[in-house]
Amino acid sequence: MSSGIFGIAISGLNAAQAGLATTGHNISNAGTEGYHRQSVVQGAAVPLETGAGFLGQGVAVSTVRRIYSDHLDSQVGKAEAQAAFFSAYDIEIAQIDNLLTDAQSGMAPVLQGFFGALNDVASDPSSLAARQSLLSAGSSLETRFQALDNRLSEIRSGVNQRLSSTVGEINTYATQIASLNARILAVEHGSAQPANDLQDQRDSLVSGLNKLVGATSVRQDDGSVNVFIGIGQNLVVGAQAFQLKVLPSLDDPGSPVVGYDIGTGLVRIDPRSLNGGSLGGLLAFRGDALNSAQNELGRIAAGLAQSFNAVHQAGQDLTGALGGAFFSQPQPSVQSRSGNAGNAVLSASITDANALTASDYRLTAGSGSYSVTRLSDNVTTRYASLPQTVDGMTVSVGSGTPANGDVFLIQPVRNAASQIRMQLTNAGQVAAAAPIRTAASAANTGSASISVGAVAGVAPLNANLQQPVTITFTSTGTFNVSGAGTGNPSGIAYTAGADISYNGWSVRVSGTPQAGDTFTVTPNSGGTADGRNAARLAGLQTARTLGGGTASYQDTYGQLVNSTGNKAREIQVSVRAQENIATQVRQTQQSLSGVNLDEEAANLLRYQQAYQASAKLIHAASTVFDTLMSLGSR
Amino acid sequence: MRIATSTVYELGVAGILQRQQDVLKTQQQVSSGRRILTPSDDPIAAAAVLGVSQSKAVNEQYQRNIEIAGTVLASEDQALSEATRVLQDIKVLAVNAGNMALNDQDRQALAVEARGLYQEMLGIANRADGEGNYLFAGYQSATPPFSESAPGSVSYVGDQGQREVSISGSRAVAITDAGSAIYQNVRSGNGTFVAGTGIGANTGSGVVDPGRVTDPAKWNMPGNSRDFTVAFHVDNSATPAVTTYDIVDNVNGVSLLTGAAPAAGPHLRTYTPGAAILLKTRAPPDTNATPFDVGAELSVDGAPANGDTFTVKPSTRLDVFSIMHRLISNMTTGPGVSANAHADYRNDLNSAMLGLDHALDTVLTTRAAVGARMKEADNARGVAETLTLQYAQRISTLEDLDYAQALSDLTRQQFQLEAAQKSFKEVSANSLFNYL
Repeated sequence: MSSGIFGIAISGLNAAQAGLATTGHNISNAGTEGYHRQSVVQGAAVPLETGAGFLGQGVAVSTVRRIYSDHLDSQVGKAEAQAAFFSAYDIEIAQIDNLLTDAQSGMAPVLQGFFGALNDVASDPSSLAARQSLLSAGSSLETRFQALDNRLSEIRSGVNQRLSSTVGEINTYATQIASLNARILAVEHGSAQPANDLQDQRDSLVSGLNKLVGATSVRQDDGSVNVFIGIGQNLVVGAQAFQLKVLPSLDDPGSPVVGYDIGTGLVRIDPRSLNGGSLGGLLAFRGDALNSAQNELGRIAAGLAQSFNAVHQAGQDLTGALGGAFFSQPQPSVQSRSGNAGNAVLSASITDANALTASDYRLTAGSGSYSVTRLSDNVTTRYASLPQTVDGMTVSVGSGTPANGDVFLIQPVRNAASQIRMQLTNAGQVAAAAPIRTAASAANTGSASISVGAVAGVAPLNANLQQPVTITFTSTGTFNVSGAGTGNPSGIAYTAGADISYNGWSVRVSGTPQAGDTFTVTPNSGGTADGRNAARLAGLQTARTLGGGTASYQDTYGQLVNSTGNKAREIQVSVRAQENIATQVRQTQQSLSGVNLDEEAANLLRYQQAYQASAKLIHAASTVFDTLMSLGSR
Repeated sequence: MRIATSTVYELGVAGILQRQQDVLKTQQQVSSGRRILTPSDDPIAAAAVLGVSQSKAVNEQYQRNIEIAGTVLASEDQALSEATRVLQDIKVLAVNAGNMALNDQDRQALAVEARGLYQEMLGIANRADGEGNYLFAGYQSATPPFSESAPGSVSYVGDQGQREVSISGSRAVAITDAGSAIYQNVRSGNGTFVAGTGIGANTGSGVVDPGRVTDPAKWNMPGNSRDFTVAFHVDNSATPAVTTYDIVDNVNGVSLLTGAAPAAGPHLRTYTPGAAILLKTRAPPDTNATPFDVGAELSVDGAPANGDTFTVKPSTRLDVFSIMHRLISNMTTGPGVSANAHADYRNDLNSAMLGLDHALDTVLTTRAAVGARMKEADNARGVAETLTLQYAQRISTLEDLDYAQALSDLTRQQFQLEAAQKSFKEVSANSLFNYL
């Protein structure tokens, strides 16, 4: 009988020891990342049946349980994946955000400086000093375009590097999760008890993976978890881990993507489907904010070069020659997708700054047709033949023949900001003057006067622009025009102040002419003090030359600053919101699974007392036994 | 709800970090004086600042242009004021030269002085501004615009361009005038027609006045040939001699008084010295069946000889140098001794003085235009200055910091940070283990 009491006492001691050990385990792991508190599950032992009923046989520890909720833990995973997504995006976009408006690095001050210098030339065209400072301002503009683009390219290559290191980390996580799956399977199969701490380790790895890529984990009946990323791509299945790879993109050579090597070929994962974790944040930043910033900047550079050159070439420089190109014209990049069956080489050139967009394009050759897709809004236009003008650029087949299904990527402005160069090398080449001038004959008897005249339109210029032309009045109301290129019309009705346009120029005669009065339009040779074309160039500062006549250069840059600022702000707000959500969800999860030291202190006391009480029971049993023994010795 | 111990730390630290961020942000705003540190702080205002700063830069450019316009226009005004003085001085010399009491030496002295003024005028016309640009050369400011091949024969090698600068978004003012429009734009005669005579052609002592247009509408009528000859006939058989004249239309070759081909005379109208010769039908004595009226008149004084003619031709443009040169050579030659030579001398002097008057008019008109442009530039300067101020204020409103607000925010945020730190210390110190 007393052996029964001893047995009960020892079962109590064992249970209390298990409790103390578990409490100690909880206390010592209070700071362990991903730790779930554990508790001892104990129950009354199977009772002994006697004639007087069932006698209790003490306590039995059935298992050590991990306090875990699949639901709460997966919520934490999702919230943390989102928080990591926005945080990665935020870190990257903050760099652009600071870059664009900074007085030292932004575009606005140099644009203003350039046009300021141009205005100084317009006011004093014969001043070599003013012309020289225009050249300096032009080369600052060029340098700033390049510096900004360089910085954006650096950010891009930084993102690409982080992309490949993140992929490496993901692969490590996947391998570790798979090997833990294997160990857990083995351990739990052998003992039929849950391997709590191994499961904690694995859940912690899944949570770390979540912060990188936004994974979904599905617990299997056998105790292993399967992990999926993106839209259900396998990463870990049981004890097997799949390895991700960084692969060159089919659509953008500067932006590698994530995919698998499945042995029979490469499978690319659509970057847009990887929308969680820091990897998702990086991909979204690159595909969204970075591409649009670099393209917009390029659009300003390409647009500026095109529209500025067109006016500059309609002027005349200090030596009397027609103006040359002020800036080199950046050219679109055309890439033929690897695996194209045909041998066609496509080329593209920018022809109209106004129609240019900041989008990239994909051209697909069909049988007897070409479809061009604008990637920003996926609008596709089909053409029967090339060359064609698409949104301000002309696309043509340079050589070879495309095969059916061949794909080409056209980036009209991606590299434009890095390609723009000032072409003028000496101050005399600034085409500040207009190539024509007008004169009234000294023998005129009427009171009519002729305007200084202007070149109508921009380069390419009329071949006869500088041919001398004479306007001869045959009466107060009619005149004849003579000179190469005019067709020598006669008897034209005169309207005072109306434009008279021939050979690409236009002039106005006003006042009352007399019969025999003549006016001439001649080349502006020696016109060193003429600043008409410089004034026209300076007018481009506020002219709406981009975006279909809606925006000036500075406006376009302002839009870029505004859209980047808006995006950065949106991301900042999302970071805060998502971190709050993550904190809340984690708090809820921790309120279930986290260790509370006060609680553990209480448990410590409880199990300590239980131990002491069981020990007391042994003492009582011993006393009872001693009593029996003393009976015999009397 | 159960609170995990880690949650106490996590929340406490997160709160403190958040407060620290707030304090740092406000501190950056205060130290930079800017409300917008990055575009994301206020994307709309950040883009608006760019737009307004461009407007401000453009406007400041207009202010610089206005300075340039002011400087160049002032140079031109200075040159024109000197030209005015030269023309006035030489006019005085011309008046003096008309004094028949002067002897040859006196006139030579006048001629020497006039030659100096001629040279001065040429210098003014070839005046360069402070940067070596010839003011009156049009666009070809690198070359002196007036080149003299021989005394009095000065040609303009510039062009008719005018340098312009923008002084506001919608207005560009001309800051130079072409020399041809000033120095070669002197209307001969009275500005509409020249009443003159060829030197040496007349033998009498008739001196013609400039004449005048009495009815511009009639003068400008399309049928008007604007080319007439007043031909004199002196009938010496009568005593005293009777002088008559005819008016001939040189284009149609008919006498306007008779409507027939010009005859030898005597003519229908009788000459009275100094009386107006009307270029319109007066019947009697005119017999022309189709009356004519070109709305102009002239008068002749003195005694024209038989066969003397005076012509009426449309004004042409003369250059001021040839006028001055003719005056000088006239002075050098002198009036001679005969009545006819005296008349020629007077006719020439009159025509020169008329030319000088017109030259002065042209210069003064140009000066008035220059003055108006300077005034306009001045007005534009006022507008531009006001606008610059407004733009600066707008930029300040958009991006500058409200210090009172920011400093009050900073104090509040610091207080919150301290409260978070203190409370965290208190809360985290509570533990049951303290009592075991």
